[in-house]
Amino acid sequence: MSRWYNDLSAQNDIAVSCRIRLARNIENLPFPSKMTDDDRKALNEQVKSAVLNSNTPFAKNLKYINMSDIPEIQRYAMVERHIISPEFAAKTEDTAIILSEDESISIMIGEEDHIRIQVLKSGMNLKDAYDLAESVDSLLSAQLNFAFDSALGFLTECPTNLGTGLRASVMLHLPALENNGEISGLIDSISKIGFTVRGMYGEGSKSLASLYQVSNQITLGISEKNALENLKIITTQLIEKELKARETLNKIKLEDICWRAVGTLKSARILTSEEMINLISRVKLGKSMGIIDLDCSPIKILIEAQPYMLMQKYGVMEPFDRDICRANMIRGDL
Amino acid sequence: MICEKCGKNHATTHIKTVVNGIVKEYNLCSACAAESGYGSSSITGMLASLLGEVSQPTLKNQKQCSLCGTTFADIAHSGKMGCSQCYKTFREELLPYIKRIHGASSHAGKIPNRAPLVVRPREKTIDDLRQELSRLVAEEKYEQAAVIRDKIKEMEGK
Repeated sequence: MSRWYNDLSAQNDIAVSCRIRLARNIENLPFPSKMTDDDRKALNEQVKSAVLNSNTPFAKNLKYINMSDIPEIQRYAMVERHIISPEFAAKTEDTAIILSEDESISIMIGEEDHIRIQVLKSGMNLKDAYDLAESVDSLLSAQLNFAFDSALGFLTECPTNLGTGLRASVMLHLPALENNGEISGLIDSISKIGFTVRGMYGEGSKSLASLYQVSNQITLGISEKNALENLKIITTQLIEKELKARETLNKIKLEDICWRAVGTLKSARILTSEEMINLISRVKLGKSMGIIDLDCSPIKILIEAQPYMLMQKYGVMEPFDRDICRANMIRGDL
Repeated sequence: MICEKCGKNHATTHIKTVVNGIVKEYNLCSACAAESGYGSSSITGMLASLLGEVSQPTLKNQKQCSLCGTTFADIAHSGKMGCSQCYKTFREELLPYIKRIHGASSHAGKIPNRAPLVVRPREKTIDDLRQELSRLVAEEKYEQAAVIRDKIKEMEGK
């Protein structure tokens, strides 16, 4: 079983990956920011036994881990692989995670809400991802009393998640729309109709490698099915616009940019994270436009060459040594 | 129009400032506007500012959540609830803001298996009925389909 960025079936697509997140809380227990240490321990135990004692087939592939048992480097490497949020990586006191073997399912316990069910898939597999998240949710709700109100739906710490508690997102690679400047206008119009566009690492993060995360904002008064359909319509339109914008790119300039990126990645001895990200984005564009015929997965490299991912594999390093290590690793990959 | 700051993206935000009586106008793209502090802030911040407009008497209201002790002033300050009970305790105060965030105040999604018994399944929408109708027609269950058809007609007539 492989992690989402190792799945090569959608590697040339504009839609890189998709994510479903369901926010759930347990009745009669304060939300995480108001919980006592004993509350936290009790919560962890409740969720742990609800999952691990259930006799469902996928529960066998799930593993319970205390976050405090995971060293800092590995926690931030998990952020870089999109398994957990940066906020969750930062607070380790009595938080826990239940993770599937291929990391496609992660259940964060004690994040902003008591339970955050997340499913990650490569490409635009929103429906598959939702179905999986929904079955985890049903498994949990059969054993835990979720805080629910017939008018307000699932009750969450922040009222922006009320209702379905569903945040669905698709990560899109939009270099041509970024290049012609159309992207900022599109982001503005999308945000006016109940969607958000963010950078690669979610809330507050800047766009890197021309990767944009589009997600639904409204969770109350809309069914899960309609929210997913609307997101699909928006992302499909963005993909069409990106494809149109790609057609207008100057062919020889594009070839030049893409092949230069390959050249640098193949020869560089020092690669900063920022430079790598820019180059990888060009390689991805070149590959999906059929300009570059190179046997590699840009997204896999992009994730594996992140600072904490490198340190998890090769040991703790100063930034400069990391840049050398990154260049070496990528030269070996290409 | 091109953004006056980066000179690259389309300008989408028009900003007018009056400092010491001097009026200045700028046209910026959303990224530069956000950088200059004019962008849309985070949702939590937005909620806190929405709730921040609450009149002083409401904030001085000493009502506390019986489960977690949170007051309405706490919620207005942080934009976050202390526990699920807070939604009951401060329901009336919160509803207008919830409506402003979502444009709605009634849940239309999944209902958990073990939800309290008072929960009634949501009423079927016309879309649900239409789907049911086409399914029944496809299955050649015309009598049942006719019932659904009449229901749709009735709802459309309302």
